[in-house]
Amino acid sequence: MKVRVSLPSATQRVGMLFGFWLVLAMFGPLLAPYAPGQIIDTQVFAPISHQHWLGTDYLGRDLGSRLLYAVRYTVLICTLSTAFSCGCGILLGVATTATPAWVEQVAGRLMDGILSIPSLLCALLVIAAFGDSLMALVLTMGVIYTPGAYRTSRALALRIARMDYITVAMARGEGRLFIIWREILPNMRGPLLADVGLRFIYAVLLLSNLSFLGLGVQPPLVDLGSLVRENVLGLVYGAVAVVLPTIVIAVLTVGINLVLDATAGRRS
Amino acid sequence: MSAGLARLVARRIGTALCSLVFVVVAIFFMTAALPGDVADMLLGQNATPAAAQALRHSLHLDQPLWLRFMHWCAGMLHGDPGTSLLTGRPVSEMLAPRLYNSLLLAGATTVVSVPLALLLGLACATWRDTHFDRVMTVLTLGVVSVPAFLIATVAVFVFAVQFRIVPALSDIRSIHSVGQFILTFAMPVSTLASITMAQMIRMIRACMIDVFSAPYIEMAVLKGVPPIRIVLHHALPNAIGPVANAIALSLSSLLGGVVVIETIFNYPGLAQLMVDSVMLRDVPIIQSCALLFCLTYLFLTTLADIVALASVRKGRGA
Amino acid sequence: MRHCRAAASTTGGPGRRQVLRLAAAGLVAAALPARAARAQAVSGEPPRRGGHLNFAGLAASTADTLDPARFALATDYIRGHMFYDGLVTLDADMTPRPALAERIESDDLRTWHITLRRGVAFHDGAALGAADVVYSLARHKDPATASQQRAVAQEMAEIKATGPLEVQVTLNGPNVDFPSMLGLVGFCIVREGTTDFSRENGTGPFICTEFSPGVRTSGRRNPDYWGGPAPWLDSVDMTGISDDMSRHNALLAGDVDIIASVNPRLVRMLRGRGFGLLESPVGTYTDLAIRLDQGPGRMQDFVTGMKYLFNREQVRDSVFLGFARLGNDQPIAPENRYFAADLPQRPFDPDRARFHLRKSGVMDSGVPVLCSPAALASVDIAVVLQYAAQQIGMDLPIRRMPADGYWTEYWMKTPMGFGNTNPRPSLDMTFALNFASSAPWNESRWHDPRFDQLLLDARSQRNETVRRQIYHDMQVMIHEGAGICLPAFTTSLDAFSPRVRGLRPSQAGQLMGYDFLSHVWLADGAA
Repeated sequence: MKVRVSLPSATQRVGMLFGFWLVLAMFGPLLAPYAPGQIIDTQVFAPISHQHWLGTDYLGRDLGSRLLYAVRYTVLICTLSTAFSCGCGILLGVATTATPAWVEQVAGRLMDGILSIPSLLCALLVIAAFGDSLMALVLTMGVIYTPGAYRTSRALALRIARMDYITVAMARGEGRLFIIWREILPNMRGPLLADVGLRFIYAVLLLSNLSFLGLGVQPPLVDLGSLVRENVLGLVYGAVAVVLPTIVIAVLTVGINLVLDATAGRRS
Repeated sequence: MSAGLARLVARRIGTALCSLVFVVVAIFFMTAALPGDVADMLLGQNATPAAAQALRHSLHLDQPLWLRFMHWCAGMLHGDPGTSLLTGRPVSEMLAPRLYNSLLLAGATTVVSVPLALLLGLACATWRDTHFDRVMTVLTLGVVSVPAFLIATVAVFVFAVQFRIVPALSDIRSIHSVGQFILTFAMPVSTLASITMAQMIRMIRACMIDVFSAPYIEMAVLKGVPPIRIVLHHALPNAIGPVANAIALSLSSLLGGVVVIETIFNYPGLAQLMVDSVMLRDVPIIQSCALLFCLTYLFLTTLADIVALASVRKGRGA
Repeated sequence: MRHCRAAASTTGGPGRRQVLRLAAAGLVAAALPARAARAQAVSGEPPRRGGHLNFAGLAASTADTLDPARFALATDYIRGHMFYDGLVTLDADMTPRPALAERIESDDLRTWHITLRRGVAFHDGAALGAADVVYSLARHKDPATASQQRAVAQEMAEIKATGPLEVQVTLNGPNVDFPSMLGLVGFCIVREGTTDFSRENGTGPFICTEFSPGVRTSGRRNPDYWGGPAPWLDSVDMTGISDDMSRHNALLAGDVDIIASVNPRLVRMLRGRGFGLLESPVGTYTDLAIRLDQGPGRMQDFVTGMKYLFNREQVRDSVFLGFARLGNDQPIAPENRYFAADLPQRPFDPDRARFHLRKSGVMDSGVPVLCSPAALASVDIAVVLQYAAQQIGMDLPIRRMPADGYWTEYWMKTPMGFGNTNPRPSLDMTFALNFASSAPWNESRWHDPRFDQLLLDARSQRNETVRRQIYHDMQVMIHEGAGICLPAFTTSLDAFSPRVRGLRPSQAGQLMGYDFLSHVWLADGAA
């Protein structure tokens, strides 16, 4: 009985947290007092004051305003690309437990191959071929993390597929799709969600690395990781400009992971 | 049973070779598809079409792509990875010291991180939802989510600049004793280990928790089997597949995925060489580096797969 | 970061006159065998010999080289000065001073006679001779050498030995600035016939003990150095740390004694901790080039409008934190002796910008401005420009391109893009390579026959006053006509620990025209 009561509440919590970040991503920039490229002070790395609540960055721009824009791009791009990579990875990983062996071989080798290609090379090639559109960015990030998700989910699915209850279900003559959907997926949920959460974190970090290379959000806009990177010199002055974006990243990613953990804990 | 396993292993290695071929071909043509070649990069801002063309000719870059690829393959079959387009030195000579450095760093990190991660991951899963587990969870997630360059930079600023305990750069020439080895490697290894450990702890914890909720564990608990015994004899063997996979994935990035650490500690490893070579379009070096990364990755994942397969078979046989 | 090549500067006023007068009589400046005298001039205390110095430059990669023809980055130039010597060196105000050449003379400014210093030895013991010089200069013209200086070297039509220590260079046309050109570090002298540059064999102040591209360059003092008693240091280790914070941390932690390319944002902290700062007024500039032959740049009003749209003070104060001098849309920096000081400074004037841009009819063409980390500070300057545009109702998209391949793939190939240029040893070279109609790096595709004619006139002009007037007019022409928006000249910043002595600013480039290693000494060195 208890399980039934807490299940919706966990789902609600996921919904609420994502809802909060999504709303912030959508409407946050409306709250920004300054334009993201506007230099408002000759003092760089200014501390918190009543003039600029969150201080200034390395060029003397308003950090609060830039932070609001950064949240928008990080949340949207990382959510999309994580959904893409985990969707593809899990689909392939689980599906190949039920397909002929050669399909698994082809998919597996392809994934290993993609994983072994340095993401730097991928990113540079994508910029050269498709330019720097946000769509290209999301797809690149998605492709780069698909093999990881594939490996994890396949290892999990493989273990479950050998379990007795699957054998029993097979013996019962259940269809493959039914088994995957009703037996395998629900039972690998815990580790899978932990993996999804981690992949979201990786996406946030990858985004800032890609921006550093030239693929990514174009100036004067910025993502959270790049905000940390461009202000890293402020470290020696203990600047808000480097500390605060780091905290926001941590709160965003740790929060999402904790909620995913909580959901994973409730078994259906 | 062992013959069956051997056949599986052989097949796994065979298919790993397929991945290797795929990677080599893909990387060669991807590099070729990048804008500009080594002649352009070498001349940089001073490039004029005539100068670039002359250089291209002297490096045989005006030959067709497939011909160059064939040359490279022929060389590899004789165990010769070719010469660097940029420096004219043999690739093997340029790679060897870097590989040594990278293996040293990766080895030290592995030795530190794997046992600790296993221990902490198991502990988190065993004492799940206790204060210990919650603190560890937030801690590990925090470490993973903060950009690596920031962790490394803060660490250097605090320990090398403010307290002057360790050097800011990791110069392995200065190592003449175990003490110096520890001092030189303390910063990069602890930074790197904390990041890899955090990843591994997360995955190990999740896998173990998953296994803990299986009926046979619940049965064992009901029967009053001591917790340690449950973990070591019942849960761990069943979680070994996914756990091995998680560890393999984390470790495989220690060779090629540590550019940030190598840059910040000015440590001349393979990752930095690879990035340099991609930027300069030095194809033979890119190829050899990629081959090494791919081999490492395949070795580790194949090992994980074999462990997983073996454990599954054992599980089934038992 | 593969920015600019050509070593810094322009040739000196009094120095040049002397050069010319002596040249007519037959020779170059009566040389102060310079280095010793120079070092001592800096501070009261005499230099001390001995000690080991660690230096960290901005970049290291497998492209690091010992081949002078391939020197491309500041670290290459420093390595070059460490192991090799040029025929001349450029002084702090960019006056060419004799080095391996004892005299450089010409009657018609077209045929130049170089007399070499006697008794100079290469590191392998061989004596320096005319053949070495001929080989070292001529190889830049061979396409197979792939020299960075090929465009400059083409100027030399014929190079031949006329005696054991005599070389004769015939130029395509008269050029009074030829001695300055020889000050390019790429034109330093190697042993005749050298093709393997995995090791060096120069005549320079240090002998190479280790060279691993992308990792480290080490050298020990050349005891037989012709320019003695310098260098003062016993040995030197040079490495490259591209990460800004790590490079500074290495200095702060005492791992290195000198770092190049200090970030202006860390100056306050370095000074606060007692580290020395070397500010060199080099004429490096980052400019927006608007191509006049395609896109919106075909409308003269668009270009004029964009020039008024640059908030130069903001670029200087916010992007460079004051470590820069205002630019005036022409490439000659204020401290240069030929700087056109009476040319009115173009102001930041949004109203005039809007007027011209509207008039051009292509204000909202949507053509993006390309910038890249490859061109120093260009991304930040672009953001400043974009905001100014936004204020007058213009939508100016920015595209930040990867540093990777920027110079070959994007620079000069798009309607609007940022470039970055290091100063060259003479105005003549700057104008000839970047602004003349036939210039290989004419960023804005600006063509003006009168400018080309003035360039030729200046080359054969011995009269200093007339030359000054010609150069003045050429600056005005670029200011008015070329599609170059030049907001600021950057000041080069380097930092050093308190034990390092003897550094002083030079217009010729960062760290004393890249030649600091033969000048500095350590306060705690032996007596």
